[in-house]
Amino acid sequence: MAVDTGLFIAITLVYLVAVISLGYLGYRRTKGEDDYLVAGRRVHPVVLALSYGATFISTSAIIGFGGVAAQLGMGMIWLTVLNIGLGILIAFVVFGKRTRRIGSQLRAVTFPDLMGKCYGSPFMQYTAGLVIVVGMPLYTAAILIGGAQFITSTLQVPYTTSLIAFAAIVALYVVLGGLLAVMYTDALQGGIMFVGMTILLVLTYVQLGGVIEANTALAAMSDLVPQALAAGGMTGWASMPAFGSPIWLTMVTTLVLGVGIGVLAQPQLVVRFMTVRDSRALNRAVLVGGPFILMMTGVAFTVGALTNVYFYRTRGVIALAAATDGNVDTIIPNFINASMPDLFIVIFMLALLAAAMSTLSSLFHVMGTSLGFDMVRRTGSGGASMRRIQAATVVMIVASIILAFIMPGSIIARATAMFMGLCASAFLPAYAHAMYSNRPSLYAAKMSLVAGAAAWFLWTAFVHIKESAALGISAFLFGVPAVLPAPWQDVDPLVIALPLSALVLLVGWALDRRRGSAEGPAGAA
Amino acid sequence: MFGIPDPAIWIGYLLALGFTLGCMGYGLLNWNNGVGEEEDGS
Repeated sequence: MAVDTGLFIAITLVYLVAVISLGYLGYRRTKGEDDYLVAGRRVHPVVLALSYGATFISTSAIIGFGGVAAQLGMGMIWLTVLNIGLGILIAFVVFGKRTRRIGSQLRAVTFPDLMGKCYGSPFMQYTAGLVIVVGMPLYTAAILIGGAQFITSTLQVPYTTSLIAFAAIVALYVVLGGLLAVMYTDALQGGIMFVGMTILLVLTYVQLGGVIEANTALAAMSDLVPQALAAGGMTGWASMPAFGSPIWLTMVTTLVLGVGIGVLAQPQLVVRFMTVRDSRALNRAVLVGGPFILMMTGVAFTVGALTNVYFYRTRGVIALAAATDGNVDTIIPNFINASMPDLFIVIFMLALLAAAMSTLSSLFHVMGTSLGFDMVRRTGSGGASMRRIQAATVVMIVASIILAFIMPGSIIARATAMFMGLCASAFLPAYAHAMYSNRPSLYAAKMSLVAGAAAWFLWTAFVHIKESAALGISAFLFGVPAVLPAPWQDVDPLVIALPLSALVLLVGWALDRRRGSAEGPAGAA
Repeated sequence: MFGIPDPAIWIGYLLALGFTLGCMGYGLLNWNNGVGEEEDGS
């Protein structure tokens, strides 16, 4: 490590004291379920924007996807386009305002609760909760792995110790302080991330001779693309992969569309729309959210690609060759440790730590509330209580830690894309229908949710070869890693499952209207 | 543009910047809109 460990530990301790203090503030202000679950519906717009952005952007975006940009190039900027256009503008303006208003009218306190109340259906609440409880630990474990890898490489702490300590600190304020503690700490962490990423962009371009020179140098490296990547369609780090090639399909369908669209139906983000008192707060949050996301993913993808120029100039190798054990998740940390001044390394380290903690805290909270509020209550164990939700949160945290020890180390970006794809496929059509239909059809929503989740799983397990080969179900049942040939093997499950889910919803809605007898009551809109 | 020869890349950068400005413009133009909904559902 380039930076003095003592300095980093001292600054980290100051940061942790600040985080714990904000967590304690959230704990003191939490008087009941509304505070614990939706932060009392009185959150300041800047806190909302920073919390939303910091939850949205994790180590996955900075380390994982930055590493992918180092490997595949600047084409990842299209994910930033979707992150801002869909993840902020459309999410807040089109979905956020409706979600806030309907959530407030129905007194919904979680995403599954919102779905259940919009459709007047315990099934919708329970099933949405089930998808979260089953699917979110995968994403959570990826965030844990990213954070622990970073702490291990920075402080030379054993990986197991890093992972458990990291989870325990976040768990402390999430379990005790609920969403108020999560959002207060998110705001601090978001601020640190913004500062860190801004400095990273500036220093990277300064070090490489300026914007034009650095980008030109990167474009000139196209003949250094490894043979295996060139055969997959990669043309360089400052150009898009060949249209329709396996790498193009992976970049566009899995990374850009999978994550870009998937963010619209992320339960941990949707619940934040219900934490403000009026639409004015959402309007103001858009002002902060757009630049924040630009400075997160835009910088990560740009700097990620440019690490090739740095490593080529300093070591004569491309970024992929500079990765530790070939793991692309190590490229950004290696670049920062090798290239940046000591003081800024500390800031970047804090920014990365903050990114991991902010996302992790939100995931812990959503998993705990889904299990403790949406699922356990529905099994007839009595009224909701904070103590039960807190216990459920601890259970989900432990499950995620166990999963983190089982999952491979280079899973961060893929696990993120998988979870976002699952959420979009299962929830997005039914969520949009609930928000924009005067009489949302429960029948159509049920069909859409089941069809979307099932199609996503089947395509993941039997067709999309990067997952199907790893899972081994297809090989076990059919003797082949994927049951369909290329190019289908490179098409992300989202691209199949989301349109299918939307189509099933439309067909179900039409059938329901024809029957003239919707199963659920009139909608909330 | 910006030293990037492939239009598919620099158009992406322009769009990212454009959406960011769009977010900022929307927030500023609607700074005080929506305040009347404060007591919805309360």
